[in-house]
Amino acid sequence: MTPDAPKVLGALAGALGVQVLPEVKTPFAQQTVGLSATLLVLLAQDYDRAAAVLAEENLAVRALLARASTLVSADQRARISTLDDRAPNADLRISALTRENSELRRLLIDVHAAVEGLPGAEARALDESIWQELRSSTARRHVEGVIG
Amino acid sequence: MEAAIARYLEPRIPGAAGLNVSNLFRIPGGASRETWMFDASWSAGGETVTANFILRKDPPASLVESDREVEYTFYDAFAESAVPVPRMRWLEQDESHLNGAFFIMERILGCDSSPRRIQEPDYAEARPMLARQLYEIAAAIHTFDWRQSGIARLIDAPAPETCWSREVAYWEDMIDRNELTPQPIARAAIRWLKRNPPPPAQRVSVVHGDYRVGNFLYTKEGIKGIVDWEMAHLGDPLEDLAWSFMELWRVGTPLMGGIVQRDEAIRTWEAASGLKADREALHWWDVFSGVKAQGIWVTGAKAFDSGKTQEPILAYTSWGLINRQDEILLHSMGRDA
Repeated sequence: MTPDAPKVLGALAGALGVQVLPEVKTPFAQQTVGLSATLLVLLAQDYDRAAAVLAEENLAVRALLARASTLVSADQRARISTLDDRAPNADLRISALTRENSELRRLLIDVHAAVEGLPGAEARALDESIWQELRSSTARRHVEGVIG
Repeated sequence: MEAAIARYLEPRIPGAAGLNVSNLFRIPGGASRETWMFDASWSAGGETVTANFILRKDPPASLVESDREVEYTFYDAFAESAVPVPRMRWLEQDESHLNGAFFIMERILGCDSSPRRIQEPDYAEARPMLARQLYEIAAAIHTFDWRQSGIARLIDAPAPETCWSREVAYWEDMIDRNELTPQPIARAAIRWLKRNPPPPAQRVSVVHGDYRVGNFLYTKEGIKGIVDWEMAHLGDPLEDLAWSFMELWRVGTPLMGGIVQRDEAIRTWEAASGLKADREALHWWDVFSGVKAQGIWVTGAKAFDSGKTQEPILAYTSWGLINRQDEILLHSMGRDA
């Protein structure tokens, strides 16, 4: 649908900030309107990219877990195998991709903790790759306009 | 609500009659309670008396989970001390008066409080003095003899060597209970904190818990009140120092809280407190601050998601702050590049 959601959300944020906020008289209501406008700006930034971010991240985490499967305990190997047996999500709704993402990142936390305690070059390299993915995850989710 | 407040106050002010409440407004501020300002006037002994108050009331849901009696007690303990605080008047645990427990304190008039306001050009001359006062007052909080106050009756004191572990356990549990999605960076930070514990606290001090620009009242003449004590507890004073330095409070400047160089703040605090800010220990508390902040943001996000509240500030914690906090955590752990 056009105009697309980011344009509409941006226009709504502008209307709140420019037209409504100056008319609001009490400090708490001013804060509420200002934060609402900021939230719309943040939502607009995520709207177009959200599915792509989650799909890319889910693939990246799957690759890390596959690398880890030779290093970790039998229990964790089984959990990785169970996830591997399932094809990447064909349902591209944000809610479905988020569920898959949460499942993968929950297992990544456990694998990361295990890898930190392992000796050897392979474990160290995997640990560094996991940190690289965590850096990438914040870059994917980065939004402009956050206070601070 | 005006009438309910008037009904509550009149019998509690000796000799007051015809008490009237006016100018009741909700104001921004405080992570865990609704904050309202109001004026009251009444007749007493043939005279008309007026007073200005702040009311802090438990909301349906909030960023942090805190006990109102604890907050009241910390405020009250610092009355007439070197730490400026508003005078506390009434603590009410009975929820029937205002549909929620609350406390009322006197309002300090004519002050600014915003982290942005202090950045404006007309505050340029006063900023260095306000920064110095901020860390002198922190020293006064951290050297306060809490054992002689109501705090000792209400709060369990940790041992110096368990200050860190108690705080890590508290905030890890907060993330366990409230995260809506897994937090791999915060979890890695928690593991790092446990593997690299700081030295025992030099002294078990009052820790304000949210000590930063934005949580004090100021004019160009100085700091008039330290507020928002809802996360106060006993612990390692370095916790407050590191929290006040967190990147999120720097409002886009390289300065701590947007007002002072880190080393200068440390020097002021050390000179005023007689305590030392060991740089490695302070770094541990820097990383801890990121975990604690993430605990607060995920709690706010869950409160919004659960439908307990629809205040935009709680949705903002999810959309604006959780990823930003992850960026800060990576930086403080030296993992950002």
